[in-house]
Amino acid sequence: MTLLHLALYFCILSLISVGGLPSVMGEVQRIVVEEQAWVTAPEFVQLYAVGQASPGPNVLIVALIGWKVAGLAGALVALFSMCGPAAAVSWWVSGLWERFKDSPLRAVIQRAMVPLVVGLTAAGGVVLATPGSTPDWRMWLIAVLACGGMLAFKKLNPLWLLAGGGLIGAILL
Amino acid sequence: MTQEDFTQTIGLCQFLPGPNIGNASIVLGKRWFGLKGSVVAFLGLFALPFVWVLALGAVYVHFSSVHVLRAIVTGVGAAGAGFFLATAIKLARPLASKPAGLVLALACLLAVAVGRISLFYVLPLGALAAMALSYRKLV
Repeated sequence: MTLLHLALYFCILSLISVGGLPSVMGEVQRIVVEEQAWVTAPEFVQLYAVGQASPGPNVLIVALIGWKVAGLAGALVALFSMCGPAAAVSWWVSGLWERFKDSPLRAVIQRAMVPLVVGLTAAGGVVLATPGSTPDWRMWLIAVLACGGMLAFKKLNPLWLLAGGGLIGAILL
Repeated sequence: MTQEDFTQTIGLCQFLPGPNIGNASIVLGKRWFGLKGSVVAFLGLFALPFVWVLALGAVYVHFSSVHVLRAIVTGVGAAGAGFFLATAIKLARPLASKPAGLVLALACLLAVAVGRISLFYVLPLGALAAMALSYRKLV
């Protein structure tokens, strides 16, 4: 039953994750932590951190969530549900996209996506930085520093910023 | 492929729902080897990292009662949150001169992060508003 739930939720998330995983991160947290209570809020941030720090695509975070909920089967179900429907859409659409390269509608859609992706991605960041019911200044300090670091030092390998976050976390948290 | 072609393909994959890299592997795999190509590209991309991530997750859970380790990992998570914020800021550059777009982005942010309203409501409404603004070149 839980596997079915996992599959269903992640399939739908897959289809609405316009702009990639960051856009739906807030929603993933809302479903996984607040609605279904599959993991606690602090656990969610920690799982996210393990996924982020691990080599490979960040979407594997959902594999970690699935694993926490239902073991290896859960991990596989979550990953394929998150990637599958969108992949099927990609398969289809990639041909169409090419054909309508110069269509004005395509330009309208592309422009429209920008504020949505910006707002949703930022929401993902805010939700991750605020696992408790009130913001913790220490989490936010790390988040803001990492954000600034990423913006200011474009060539810097993000792993350094993650390590810095871990270091400050060890001291402050 | 040419650089321009690559950029276009990645741009397409960002437009499509779903994980960007996952879709890129599908689209590129299809282009060169059809369905088999897509499947192989996808599996090739994910198989080893999948094992890695679960292994690291298992190790973490095993030691997660150690407070310092939890603190470090939580700090890493906070840094990751910062990455999201940085990405949002970078993507917001085209909106710098478009206040309507910024307001819409802010509204989405507040709805999801503060209001904790489900995306199933926010996305359709947001998309409608975004399309309306985009038609009128306000975005």
